[in-house]
Amino acid sequence: MARRVFITGLGLIAPHGEDPVSIFDRIYQGDSAVRLVRSGTADFGSDLPLATVDFTPKDRIPKTQQLFMARASQMAVVAAEGALQSSGLFREGQSVEDGEMGVYMGCGLGGAEILQEGYRTYFVRQSRRGRPSTVPMIMASGPASHISMRFGLHGPTHTYSIACASSTVAIGEAFRAIRDGYLDTALSGGAEAMLNDGSIAAWERLGVLASSHMDGPEASSRPFDLERTGFVLGEGAVLLVLEAESALRERAVDPIAEIIGYGVSSDAFSLTEPHAAGQEAAMRSAITDADIEREEVQYVNAHATGTPSGDPIEIEAIKNVFEDHASNLAVSSTKSVHGHLVGASGALETAITAIALQKGRIPPTANLTHPDPCCDLDCVPGYGREAPELTVAVSNSFAFGGSNATLVLRKV
Amino acid sequence: MSAYSYLAEVLVDKYDVDKDKIRPEATLTDLGLDSLMVVEFLFDVEDEFNIEVPDDRAEFETLNEAATLIDELIEAKGD
Repeated sequence: MARRVFITGLGLIAPHGEDPVSIFDRIYQGDSAVRLVRSGTADFGSDLPLATVDFTPKDRIPKTQQLFMARASQMAVVAAEGALQSSGLFREGQSVEDGEMGVYMGCGLGGAEILQEGYRTYFVRQSRRGRPSTVPMIMASGPASHISMRFGLHGPTHTYSIACASSTVAIGEAFRAIRDGYLDTALSGGAEAMLNDGSIAAWERLGVLASSHMDGPEASSRPFDLERTGFVLGEGAVLLVLEAESALRERAVDPIAEIIGYGVSSDAFSLTEPHAAGQEAAMRSAITDADIEREEVQYVNAHATGTPSGDPIEIEAIKNVFEDHASNLAVSSTKSVHGHLVGASGALETAITAIALQKGRIPPTANLTHPDPCCDLDCVPGYGREAPELTVAVSNSFAFGGSNATLVLRKV
Repeated sequence: MSAYSYLAEVLVDKYDVDKDKIRPEATLTDLGLDSLMVVEFLFDVEDEFNIEVPDDRAEFETLNEAATLIDELIEAKGD
């Protein structure tokens, strides 16, 4: 029999900081964490808007462990500790109560900065003698492995590397594993840290990044707006503790929200171009999986990254799925203030959606001052909105490569 | 100057080894280094002294034996 699955803990290392409540408050106010950053060197670089994270592990990770952890893994381990603490499953100086816990992580590039350093040694220093630990540090599975080792978690430790849908799929697969009885508890989310200059230069050449807006870099990420020019890359790690209802009953914990549905699909269409039919299939599948009527959905945390081509297609897909009900929906893109965390984006947006349900507050699409007529749904421009009746919400993630994933969450 | 003092310094500063545990007869395993850390430690040493430890000579046991090997390689390089 299917079991109910709850989010009982959150740990965030995000562009807006590390405290989930204050992060949500800033997002709710449309307060952007995007700033102008110099990538590369003074004479061989570029100034561009990014959503960087002010993060150093300090003494939160033993020094010898830090040596063998890429930035994404460091952020993941610290976020995982925050999630475990907030769920009550772990307190400093104690072991995790459930040693069979699973780890389901999303990550796009793994140790991007370590790979860059390896190539620098090879190509620039003309040396074959890179760091011996390069290989284990660049693995996309590094964050999941380090979380497992750090907290002694012996359940399945899986990494999903599906570009922008990575962590949504990770959470969805963990949800299914718990719902179907394969495990009781999981740490699930995503980590991404690829704001090294080599990676950024590649993204720039793809032509999908936002240029700085005349109103300042914080106005650069503008999904659904006529003046949108692309997305703002971000970084971070976000972990959720997921628990079966049965596991919850043994502990006095107030869940943040319930996950009730998960759907995926593939466009089978293009490496970079989005496709409405595939997005629709993921949303329909998730709503069916949740065993709800589409009219019960009130809020969609959109994938909308702020690219000229992508946002209207998601709006079209939402209209096709929800038909007459689409005009009743609130649809916002919180990427407008936290940027696009790629492999960690879905986890951050799921966390924000969970808090939105808990607080009865819908986060906005910031910088939406001149709505694109092609994006003619209620996109919650500027500031958040009180919504005490908010009960069911959807979070979308659509990846390069055509993988689409949707989660459905419900207020507890 | 023997490489011993450099090895001890790196072990304390980078690998967080307790200074009181550093003894000539201590093995790297005794000091808490796993196989990956040992390889990385040798990489640090090679970088510092601009030498290369041949695979067939990297089978030292104790810190003192490691320092002796490094000293020999430094001396050989100087010839």
